[in-house]
Amino acid sequence: MEKILSVGIDVGTSTTSLVLSRLTIENESSFFSVPKVSIAEKEVIYKSPVYLTPLLNRSRIDAGALRAIVSGEYEKAGVASSQISSGAVIITGESARKENADAVIRALSAFAGDFVVAAAGPDMESLIAGKGSGAWQFSRKNHCRVLNLDIGGGTSNAVLFDDGDMKACGCLDIGGRLIRLCRQDEGLTVRQVSPAAALAAQAASVPIADGSSVSRQDLERIAGKMAHILDCFTGADRAPSSEDLELMGKLQTPGSSPFPVPEDVQTIFFSGGVAEMMLRPAVQTFAYGDIGMLLADAVQQSRMRQVFAAGSAGETIRATVVGAGSYTTSISGSTVYFDREVLPVKNVPVIRLDEQAQREIFRGNEAPAREIAAWHQQQQDICGYMLAMEGMADPDYGQMKAAAAAISRLADQTMPGGEPLLLAFDRDIAKAMGLLLRGRQGSGRKIICIDSVHMRSGEFADLGRPLMDGLVIPVVVKTLVFE
Amino acid sequence: MKESNSNFLKNLDSFYQFSKDRGYNKENSISGKAGFHDIDIREDLTDPELKRRPLLDHPQDPHALERMLRATTARIGVGKAGPRLLTRTLLTLRADHAGARDAVMTDVPQEVLDRLGLFTVQTRCHDKYEYLTRPDLGRKLSDEGARIVAERCRKDPDVQLIAADGLSSTSITANIEKVLPILTDGLESRGLTVGTPFFVRYSRVAAEDHISEILGAKVVCIFIGERPGLATAESMSAYIAYQARVGMPEARRTVVSNIHKNGITAVEAGAYIVDLISEILEKKASGVELRAHTF
Amino acid sequence: MKLETVLTGHHFAFKSVKEVLAKANEKKSGDTLAGIAASSDLERIAAKEVLSQMYLSDLREHPVVPYEEDEVTRINQDSIDEEVYRVIRGWTVADLREFILDYHTAEEDLHTLSRALTSEMVAAVCKLMSNMDLVYAASKIRVPAVCNTTIGLRGTMATRLQPNHPTDDLEGITASLFEGLSYGCGDALIGLNPVSDTSARLGEILKRFDDIRSRFEIPTQICVLGHITTQIEAIRGGAPADMIFQSIAGSEKGNRAFGFSAETIREAQQLLAEKGKAKGPNVFYFETGQGSELSSDAHFDADQVTMEARCYGFAREFHPFMVNTVVGFIGPEYLYDSRQVIRAGLEDHFMGKLTGLPMGCDCCYTNHMQADQNDIENLSMLLGAAGVNYILGVPASDDVMLNYQSNSYHDAAAVREILGLRPIREFERWLEKMGIMENGRLTDRAGDPTIFTAKGGRG
Repeated sequence: MEKILSVGIDVGTSTTSLVLSRLTIENESSFFSVPKVSIAEKEVIYKSPVYLTPLLNRSRIDAGALRAIVSGEYEKAGVASSQISSGAVIITGESARKENADAVIRALSAFAGDFVVAAAGPDMESLIAGKGSGAWQFSRKNHCRVLNLDIGGGTSNAVLFDDGDMKACGCLDIGGRLIRLCRQDEGLTVRQVSPAAALAAQAASVPIADGSSVSRQDLERIAGKMAHILDCFTGADRAPSSEDLELMGKLQTPGSSPFPVPEDVQTIFFSGGVAEMMLRPAVQTFAYGDIGMLLADAVQQSRMRQVFAAGSAGETIRATVVGAGSYTTSISGSTVYFDREVLPVKNVPVIRLDEQAQREIFRGNEAPAREIAAWHQQQQDICGYMLAMEGMADPDYGQMKAAAAAISRLADQTMPGGEPLLLAFDRDIAKAMGLLLRGRQGSGRKIICIDSVHMRSGEFADLGRPLMDGLVIPVVVKTLVFE
Repeated sequence: MKESNSNFLKNLDSFYQFSKDRGYNKENSISGKAGFHDIDIREDLTDPELKRRPLLDHPQDPHALERMLRATTARIGVGKAGPRLLTRTLLTLRADHAGARDAVMTDVPQEVLDRLGLFTVQTRCHDKYEYLTRPDLGRKLSDEGARIVAERCRKDPDVQLIAADGLSSTSITANIEKVLPILTDGLESRGLTVGTPFFVRYSRVAAEDHISEILGAKVVCIFIGERPGLATAESMSAYIAYQARVGMPEARRTVVSNIHKNGITAVEAGAYIVDLISEILEKKASGVELRAHTF
Repeated sequence: MKLETVLTGHHFAFKSVKEVLAKANEKKSGDTLAGIAASSDLERIAAKEVLSQMYLSDLREHPVVPYEEDEVTRINQDSIDEEVYRVIRGWTVADLREFILDYHTAEEDLHTLSRALTSEMVAAVCKLMSNMDLVYAASKIRVPAVCNTTIGLRGTMATRLQPNHPTDDLEGITASLFEGLSYGCGDALIGLNPVSDTSARLGEILKRFDDIRSRFEIPTQICVLGHITTQIEAIRGGAPADMIFQSIAGSEKGNRAFGFSAETIREAQQLLAEKGKAKGPNVFYFETGQGSELSSDAHFDADQVTMEARCYGFAREFHPFMVNTVVGFIGPEYLYDSRQVIRAGLEDHFMGKLTGLPMGCDCCYTNHMQADQNDIENLSMLLGAAGVNYILGVPASDDVMLNYQSNSYHDAAAVREILGLRPIREFERWLEKMGIMENGRLTDRAGDPTIFTAKGGRG
């Protein structure tokens, strides 16, 4: 048994928080059989308060202030960054813009420990929020279809789980902080409106712009429109108008996947800051200078609340950060092959072979795989990569040798000798393949060959230092990275 | 055809009902059922996918039944005829049992052994009956077997690999060709000497102790068929021991079990055992003693 | 004491009571493996004849493991009702057989007799019984026991529902459990053999069983069959338990090989008195099986029937709720084929009942034994006729965790119908309430595990 500390830091459009989780890793196989290591327990041991994300101006993060927040929280929790072996910094919503992301990375580099990754991407946020809120666990336990809707400051992230399997992710630019307000002379003035909110306002026939004065009723209509778009998004309204559909299309968050209208949803979980306000309304509607409370009210009144059973989220505003702390790290299969000195590796782009290319690999022909690799290398302007494929169910030795030869040639043709050969299989054949590759590559190229992980093209992988006496390697798969 | 002329009143209600439930025409079951003769002969009773299909008609909650079938390999959702099994369940059980019995009672085909260049020796058992009832005799090579092994095998190897039928010849047929070559190549690539491998008929695990003594091997590793279950007859184990001696405690063996296509696959097991044997040689211990070194 | 005889002109002589007992045994591969079996059929019958003329006092005075060396012997010898013993000690084993079978011997007489019999006497009379004798004699003796419900009443036959799973997955276990309940199984016990023997695992499964039992108000018992020390740990940690399970052997050495002694059981007894959930006084579940002593070299050159009888002498001390002979699990080196398994099943049941135990049987076989499902169905019908307290039920006879076959969930229902037997009364009422059973027969609705999910079960 081994316990590791994992950190989750969520730097969002409006709020920032941090959690520390303790992951217990155990070998569950009996005394004398092949090891079978898994993460047996995840326990959140520290939760920070929710801070407002420190900003220098309207949209630029104050890196120094952010660093001070994290440093203070580490101190309160009594941990040093060197004790943290895994985790993720999730940069969400507007904060995920390039300049901000760079600032966050710079600010947190000293706290990131050895193996903390910075990542974002709306799909990944959706997924980890759904795990952090408890929706995923509920779906798994009760064998049902559960939707998690994480409504934050800038975006609403949806994920659909069926019996614990993630079925779809999606994201809309709908959030409580997309319209910022200030009070002037007993009235309300729009301080700042995001382009997405402006679209929603227009659709609600309440055209607004920065500086325009606005009534509470107007804002309620905008929030109502936003909530109704969420009704359409989640399938609570099954017959949306063509205008609403068009608006929904425009509000889809760049970089997020299209979210098919889910069928047979039994239960909905709400998380995010707006869900927090649904549970614990602020005393003053405009206490935070935004439309968060109004959106919370609108969602309360929405069809989603009538059509679906409501799940009880274990975390609302902290769903994403808890997800980041506890659910981003997985571990490889327990029979793997690695050259220790290569680890850890970070932000490696994944290139996955399709069925046909893999079939040829196991016949000793790397040509189709080379085309795929070359295309990705060119498209993404990358050199080293993680080669992923399913692997065969019960290969014979000849097939394994043929594949090792083909993969070895593929590496030599597509990467300079200094780049390690990184391989990930879904199926449990990594140790055998690693052994054969070593035979092929001699003592030259470094090799990491892991299995029991599923990686797709377009994703990025981080591999940590081996755990459990070298049995397993911690793995984080991300959809977006900042460097 | 002659109509029945008996004078008792026939009540065919239950016949009609049964026919109807099965989708036959009321009056004539032969003409009624479409596709009756289109049975797919490739449909294999022992196919795991087929076993996962419920036979129970009209469960109250079909989704729940699907989930249940996903959660266990136990034969549930099988339905009933009166208080008895349906014909299909009965035949599937018999087919699986027949596979398991054949695994115990048949021999490993000579072609498999020939392809790997393995010669065969026998323990002191003369036949399967003696093998099954006299485990003591299966733990020693016959005098002739011992002589052949001494003559034909390389002496004092670092590692001696042995294949043995044990309780499932089927498992050896399914796995041995996948595991021996990767293991041999892997060990040799680490500069270890691998002895001359061979096959032992009617063998128990402890036959490796006798063989180890004859050949002076540092490490012996016997691949042997596990007692078959109905789920698979293909499961093989490896028992590995450092300086094995006749009469040594069982706790000195390191075991890798469940080697088959749905457990740990043969090639992966082979690679794992390369590391395991290297570690055993390095620590000069196996079994519980090896664990004591590790933790 | 006469240890010799002449048969078909041949002279047969034996050195000891132990040798006579061993050689009088019906043929079993385990006795051959131990090197103590009769060398010919004629020698076997000669031993039976010598045994038939042996006095019960000879057997009392020659336990197969010495009193001084072995707590199993001591527990058995010390438990004897000396008043009754004085009456019977001059009987021969043949007298004992005929007394048991006699029309004038009532059931109460057999209960009285039981308290004066040592395990060696029980084994001896068993060796003189034919298979039908074993069925007939056992059918005269009912041994009820009470935990939450009462098992073993005349006219009932119960089942232990065994929902094993290859990785102890809770949902998978629950699925098999629901299937079994829907066939009317589980009145003796819902009892699982865990893959992983940790107190956390045991606690988790017990909690699931307890939840399901209370949600559906099922009148039955629950148990997870870990090692006794693990169960003790789980119960100390708050796991809900009615009773404690342990595999037992016929010698102290055998029990030590299983990792416990009588002291461990007394400790468990105390714990259950404080923390157990059982309503009744009988809170142990013991498992036995011919051959286990030989497999741990704890048989003291005694035959496997005598060692099995000694398990029962030991078990009696602790007033169990159920005792189970897992008759065909051990393999062909102890019981070679169906003939030996069926014989052993009938012997064990008879000996258990004669000892005064609430005896059940796991009618089972492994795939390397010369037996198939037909044989196990035969055995369960014979035991049903003999009045067995319970048999097992596993999904379609295939135990996917222990890799052997036993009775299917369906079998209990069929045996009950064939022999006019019923489930335990409270449980039958529950089955009727759930619409699973009507007038002692399964309904159309029976056999559908989803009746439990549709009624608010998991899902």
